[in-house]
Amino acid sequence: MIRCLVVLLLLGVHSAQAEVRVTDFIGREVIVPAPATRIVALAPHVVENLFSAGAGDKIVGAVEHSDYPPAATNIPRVGNHNSWSLESIAALRPDLVVVWGSGNAGGKLARLEQLGIPVFVSELRKPQDIAEAIRRLGILAGTSDHSEPAAKALETALATLGKRYAHATRLSVFYQIWNDPLLTVNGDHMISEVMNLCGGRNAFADLAQIAPRINVESVLSRDPDVILASGMGDARPDWVDDWRRYPALAAVRYDNLFFIHPDHLQRATSRILQGAETLCAQLQEARQRIAAEGSIMPPS
Amino acid sequence: MSTTGAKAYPGGPALLLALLLAIPLVLLVAVASGTVPIALPEVLGSLLRTNTDTQASMIVTQIRLPRALLALLVGAMLGISGAAMQGLFRNPLADPSLVGVSAGASLGASLAIVSGGVALTGFMGLTLTSLGAFLGGLTAVMLVYGLATREGATSVTTMLLAGIAIAAIAGSAGSLLELGTSNENLRRISLWRMGGLDGADYQRVWLAALTAVGLCLALPRKAGALDALLLGESEARHLGVDVQGCKRQLVFWVALGVGVSVALSGTIAFVGLVIPHIVRMLIGPAHRYLLPASALAGALLLLIADTVGRLVLAPAELPVGIVTAALGAPFFLSLLRHRREYGL
Repeated sequence: MIRCLVVLLLLGVHSAQAEVRVTDFIGREVIVPAPATRIVALAPHVVENLFSAGAGDKIVGAVEHSDYPPAATNIPRVGNHNSWSLESIAALRPDLVVVWGSGNAGGKLARLEQLGIPVFVSELRKPQDIAEAIRRLGILAGTSDHSEPAAKALETALATLGKRYAHATRLSVFYQIWNDPLLTVNGDHMISEVMNLCGGRNAFADLAQIAPRINVESVLSRDPDVILASGMGDARPDWVDDWRRYPALAAVRYDNLFFIHPDHLQRATSRILQGAETLCAQLQEARQRIAAEGSIMPPS
Repeated sequence: MSTTGAKAYPGGPALLLALLLAIPLVLLVAVASGTVPIALPEVLGSLLRTNTDTQASMIVTQIRLPRALLALLVGAMLGISGAAMQGLFRNPLADPSLVGVSAGASLGASLAIVSGGVALTGFMGLTLTSLGAFLGGLTAVMLVYGLATREGATSVTTMLLAGIAIAAIAGSAGSLLELGTSNENLRRISLWRMGGLDGADYQRVWLAALTAVGLCLALPRKAGALDALLLGESEARHLGVDVQGCKRQLVFWVALGVGVSVALSGTIAFVGLVIPHIVRMLIGPAHRYLLPASALAGALLLLIADTVGRLVLAPAELPVGIVTAALGAPFFLSLLRHRREYGL
């Protein structure tokens, strides 16, 4: 209980008044006069995190592709993640708007603030940030009873995974977003953090762009232990097997060609835990396959 | 280039010979360089199929060589198409994309993606998306040509303007399509737009080779007619040129060449625009040499640009369009400054 209070104080919440103050992810202080009851969420991951925080029923407006949980599909739309109608937002009379920093804040943040609507910027970089976002959104919506346990559970689960694989053999992982053009992610992407959590490391962490374009030869030269495909949906993309044309690749030699549903790794929501658990299990499987061949010594 | 007349130009045959000698050298450099270091003897061994190192020979023959060949073929098609378009339109700014090919192709690809064609594979290494791009490009040109043709005569000015209008319509239709489509299709569309030469394989090389050979045989046969057209359409007609038939054939071949290029490697800027200008400055406007030299110079520029794009950020790639534009745009500016000395 005391720890909980300390956390709340650290977040800058003053419970003396009905007014709620929370710091957002770009360091702005967001003040709502009373817990928010009419929220507009301008990115699909924000909608999902609000549901996790127990504030799903307080969302009055969302953007296209807000498809999870299923209840989110019924929320009225105000546009898509990079172009939305200021008029529609104003007409919903929201008492809080949540925007996605790198996705849609930009110059539009100022326009929303001019309307006098409190704006919370969600800019999540690490899996742990997701728990923090759920916590802070819960505070703003007055649903901490629900959000705090959810945030804690996610933090604990992530920490457990991290502890379990902290001393595992580190494997290099190539995350393949798409085959033509061949795209991956660099070290700044959350997926890279999930790899670290599972005792892996991103084979292309050092590249400058967040989603760099590479070529087949780059993959051959980095020779990753594991190739992890994203694709577009539920199905494992056929192009993962194109790598079998290069039997010299370690990932091919050990048959370490995996697939994870993109929504479980690419969305900054609590479903990342599912993605992380799958990835950790796959890397463990990869370690066993490599150990069976005996080329990498198992951890001492 | 202070003097004018035949003296200022070293002559077409010399340039053709120089380009023919330069291409194999650059091809060797392109095949010998990449992220994985492979020694030159091994590269040569792989090309001659005497190399026993399977990984190295696979990189050389299955990754680098088809890509370099595709760059050469697409560059050649864009170069010769640009020269033919500038001759036909008698306009130094004419570019194959001006008659709506690129915009139409882009819309065609988007339509194919939205209608669910991605799941199926087409023929000869082309996905249905590429096929959609090709058909879209062709449709745009046919529309532009149809709009500009009245009573059996095609107005070049109307064609240019109609090309701009059709490109604008295709562009906005594409944007509308993106607004209505699913997240997944939206991502597929933007990924297709990024497409480049990195998807090269021998199927694509063969398709490009067939088209490029067709173009390089058909277009130079119109060299005389294009020369006559430089004097003006009625003058060409008085010289006995079948102006209307000539236009129809030129537009058909250019649409085919650019359509196939876009379908195989996405839209690549500046090659079709700048290469004919460079060549014309060197050897003058006679199409007999201008057309083949533009093909060879286009091939050379695109191969150099693609090799630079592969190496400069390795292991990441720089899209080839950025490199061709970076090489082409400064040249284009200097061209504008020296315009007075240079008439098309």
